[in-house]
Amino acid sequence: MPGVGPKTAQRLALHILKRPEAEVKALAQALIEAKQQVGQCSICYHLSAEPVCEICRAPNRDSETICVVADSRDVIALEKTREYRGKYHVLGGLISPIDGMGPDQLYIQPLIRRVSQQKIKEVILAISPSIEGETTTLYVGHLLKPFTRVTRIAFGLPMGGDLEYADEVTLARALEGRRDLD
Amino acid sequence: MYLKALHLRQFRNYQDQFLEFSAPKTILVGDNAQGKSNLLEAVELLSTLRSHRTSRDRDLILAGESIGQVTARLERDTGAVDLAVTLRSNGRRTVSLNSESLRRQFDFLGILNVVQFSSLDLDLVRGAPERRRHWMDALLVQLEPVYAYILQQYNQVLRQRNALLKAIRKAEGRGDGEIGRWGDRENEGDDFSQALDREANPLATLDQLAFWDAQLALTGSRVIRRRARVLQRLAPLAEHWHQEISGQTEVLQVSYAPNVGLAQDDPQQLQTEILVRIQQKRVAEQYQGTTLVGPHRDEVEFAINRSFARQYGSQGQQRTLVLALKLAELKLIEEVIGEPPLLLLDDVLAELDLHRQNQLLNAVQDRFQTLITTTHLGSFDAQWLNSSQILQVQAGQLMPPVR
Ligand SMILES: Nc1ncnc2c1ncn2[C@@H]1O[C@H](COP(=O)(O)OP(=O)(O)OP(=O)(O)O)[C@@H](O)[C@H]1O
Ligand SMILES: [Mg+2]
Ligand SMILES: [Zn+2]
Repeated sequence: MPGVGPKTAQRLALHILKRPEAEVKALAQALIEAKQQVGQCSICYHLSAEPVCEICRAPNRDSETICVVADSRDVIALEKTREYRGKYHVLGGLISPIDGMGPDQLYIQPLIRRVSQQKIKEVILAISPSIEGETTTLYVGHLLKPFTRVTRIAFGLPMGGDLEYADEVTLARALEGRRDLD
Repeated sequence: MYLKALHLRQFRNYQDQFLEFSAPKTILVGDNAQGKSNLLEAVELLSTLRSHRTSRDRDLILAGESIGQVTARLERDTGAVDLAVTLRSNGRRTVSLNSESLRRQFDFLGILNVVQFSSLDLDLVRGAPERRRHWMDALLVQLEPVYAYILQQYNQVLRQRNALLKAIRKAEGRGDGEIGRWGDRENEGDDFSQALDREANPLATLDQLAFWDAQLALTGSRVIRRRARVLQRLAPLAEHWHQEISGQTEVLQVSYAPNVGLAQDDPQQLQTEILVRIQQKRVAEQYQGTTLVGPHRDEVEFAINRSFARQYGSQGQQRTLVLALKLAELKLIEEVIGEPPLLLLDDVLAELDLHRQNQLLNAVQDRFQTLITTTHLGSFDAQWLNSSQILQVQAGQLMPPVR
């Protein structure tokens, strides 16, 4: 499991073995239910228990702005800032030939469809400034520009930093300082 | 700058060794495989966060342990600094400055500056081009720590682009056009079916490679410009020293021979030039499945009296040249940083004759703190011995020398 070393894994396993059986059953059941119920939003590809996620359904959010992120974790991080009132689009990763990830493996096509078929005033690209993130930003930006205004968030973020690790204040400021993709 | 103290814990063959430097020169003497180079390696690690002997932290940790640490007290003009690097066998490192751990390891670079000179450097001139690129890059990191980041970015683009070129080659071999770019290959018979593919799925065939080309040009141009700049500054210093050491009989010329270069320094034009060269090599790159254009194919050229030292230099000339380069590095770092760096001499003094030893001694004086390893004190000039702190290294322990 990501972020869990062998020692922690062992500790978790032993902990579970020591708990009463009913508790372990409940945990197992919860995991199975989560797997069965949590899927992807059919519009933005964020994690969702419903076919359309809460954010996409929210009537009071600005539906003419889409913020594009690599991963659902980034949506969660941005939501914590409470700065952003538009919608999202989750790409499901970054372009990375080493990992066999090309544009086809990402939800880029559905994004183009959304932007070309709806009235979208602005697309904000909020993708980590790593090499793979930059390439993905350039690629997606290139495809979207014929349809709408495309901006990218400003990175006051540490070099090579991940959105996920940026603190909320930095993220909020980065969102404010976004600029047009040239 | 002056390294006051060094503390090795479970580092290489050292269990727990504290060392205080009491003179500008420290000579570490001992038999083979006792830990002399290991100690220098610890200083190298504090300076560059790398070892030229290994890229795995596990190798640096005392066998059988899972954690190792190197700490040091450094005196700089701006005040004393405590440096610490903690190594773990799983590869996770912690670095700290004045007991505060740093989030970005790059911030640790450029605090302790060193020039390394080991017997390995003696084939800097004759070795593969990669050796000279490494040498140039290591110097750049000392002078402009951000270069470590710039180079890492370039290398990452290179890895990604090579992976893509390989994937394109593979797809081409299969004859399906799902990945890559085909625009340059108008004469190929299957172009028509690929054009159809593109219509069926315009996103898949939209040129991903072009974006990696752009990244290569951008990050590559940064590497090239900095390399050109550092060699421009280093060359006159090295040329001066070579003339000195050779007793005015030889003229050295150091020049940067970039794979893609420009007469004038213009970042935009340089990027354009890289893109043009990529276009020219397009077919060859896709055929070979690897990147053929960029600073990973740079070279540094040394000429002595107008003939290439790599092919024609004698052993003695090459020694003079490497010594001149090292002295130039010392001076350049001192100029740029404003403080003299440390000099690490691993096994190399014995390889220099008395004349060159004395040249080195005179240049270094007491201004550059110097750590020297040797198996015998015999070949040393008496001047060196008298002004030095001498320590015996034995099986990962330091002790006063047995005379
Ligand atoms: N991780 C490690 N744990 C324990 N011992 C190690 C480790 N790495 C290297 N050594 C030991 O360190 C010794 C080599 O030390 P070092 O390279 O410093 O030798 P040296 O004193 O410079 O010798 P030479 O004169 O041959 O260059 C070897 O005995 C090697 O087994
Ligand atoms: Mg050695
Ligand atoms: Zn949604």
